Amino acid sequence: MATARPGWSRRAQYGLFFSFLAVIAGIVIGLILLAVSLIAPKTFDGLRGVALDVTGPVATALHEVSVTAQGLVTGADDYWDAARQNGELKRERKAMLQRMVEAKAIHQENLQLKAALQLRQRVRDTVATGRIVGSSFNSPRRFAILSAGSRDGVGEGMPVRSASGLVGRIVDVGDFASRVLLVSDRTSIVPARLLRNGIPVIVQGRGDGTVEIRPLEVGRNPFRPGDIIITSGTGGLYPPLVPVARVVTLKDDGGIALPLSDPATTSFAIVEPAFEPTAIAAEAEPAADTAP
Amino acid sequence: MVRAALSSPKRFGHAPRPLALFVPAATVIAASLLSALPIVSTSGWFPDFGYLALISWRLLRADPWPAWWAAPLGFVNDLFTGYPIGFSIALWSATMLALDLVDRRTLWRDYWIEWMVAAVLIALNEWLHWRVARLIGADIPFSMMLPQLLISVCAFPLSAWAVSRVDRWRLGR
Repeated sequence: MATARPGWSRRAQYGLFFSFLAVIAGIVIGLILLAVSLIAPKTFDGLRGVALDVTGPVATALHEVSVTAQGLVTGADDYWDAARQNGELKRERKAMLQRMVEAKAIHQENLQLKAALQLRQRVRDTVATGRIVGSSFNSPRRFAILSAGSRDGVGEGMPVRSASGLVGRIVDVGDFASRVLLVSDRTSIVPARLLRNGIPVIVQGRGDGTVEIRPLEVGRNPFRPGDIIITSGTGGLYPPLVPVARVVTLKDDGGIALPLSDPATTSFAIVEPAFEPTAIAAEAEPAADTAP
Repeated sequence: MVRAALSSPKRFGHAPRPLALFVPAATVIAASLLSALPIVSTSGWFPDFGYLALISWRLLRADPWPAWWAAPLGFVNDLFTGYPIGFSIALWSATMLALDLVDRRTLWRDYWIEWMVAAVLIALNEWLHWRVARLIGADIPFSMMLPQLLISVCAFPLSAWAVSRVDRWRLGR
């Protein structure tokens, strides 16, 4: 296919023709595979897992380097500003101690109340911890790569969180790495509620690192800038009471919020078992149906 | 060119590197692997490195690899970048075909025309990404794709430059 006319050689002409056919075949195969992966997204899970395993360790190793470099810069910055920071931290610590005592009291009370109600709740334990070592670069989808895979017990659909909040949910699993659907992806929908007054809301990603929040009930816009959104546990995919996002701007029927756990600065992420394991099986069905 | 013939034989021993035939494809795979870099992007404004490398090579030379190689190269890209499998296979093969047609139609080429062709291809790539994401259920407005589209178009000269350097290196010039 190098030139339009390879000359009088029959052999060259046939070669040109067959390479043309091969390219057409490539397009057709590609379209078929694309259709399969759109209709039945789980078909190529094994392949994707292998690819994750190939890139995961590289990313993990390089991650150390970039973190070290970042650490050097911020470390130097901290020294520069030490006196002021020290004062600030002391003030914060005082306030925190007070809050902690209050929180402990509330926790105690909560335990007593729960015992009184005989409320059953699964004990949440950690499946695995990993680092977030990469992300999707160029696509409308928002994925991150986590350095923990099925060898660590990670399974599809498990929620991922960091110390600061909800990160997302596992979608592809390799042996040593897995792919996380971030909260900010457009297809990610998290049932949540406002921390301030418990109003149930829906958190949906916007594909650009922020999330859209809408109240479940139509009415007055319940949000205020600075409000914290936490998961409600409805639906059973995500555990309740995990911080999700902070409201930054208001819109007519909802608002836009920033996820509390920024995957770019999250060092460790925790994979938790699905809050209600049956929910994952139930979720897999309609997802396959809605994909055209 | 008597003078050239008499000058010191600097150019002896210059030959294509071993495996020069496979260098272009290898650089495309390497570009696809850039997505394994430990950069966590929350906005997704990075260019599609694999595709940039592919069109840079194809615009620089008519025969960087047999045309059907685009399909396996696209497959590798799909695997590493997490696109739906088949997306790059189809798009990259179609790109090879489209650029062959462009080669036949254009009477003359200069840098601006190449950049324009690349910009059209990149825009098409982004648009298809957006369409496919909509099919899956991620229906974001197309305006959100514009920043990365601009960045990719601006990144094309860089990638074209890098590719031309690699090409000179592999041919031992």
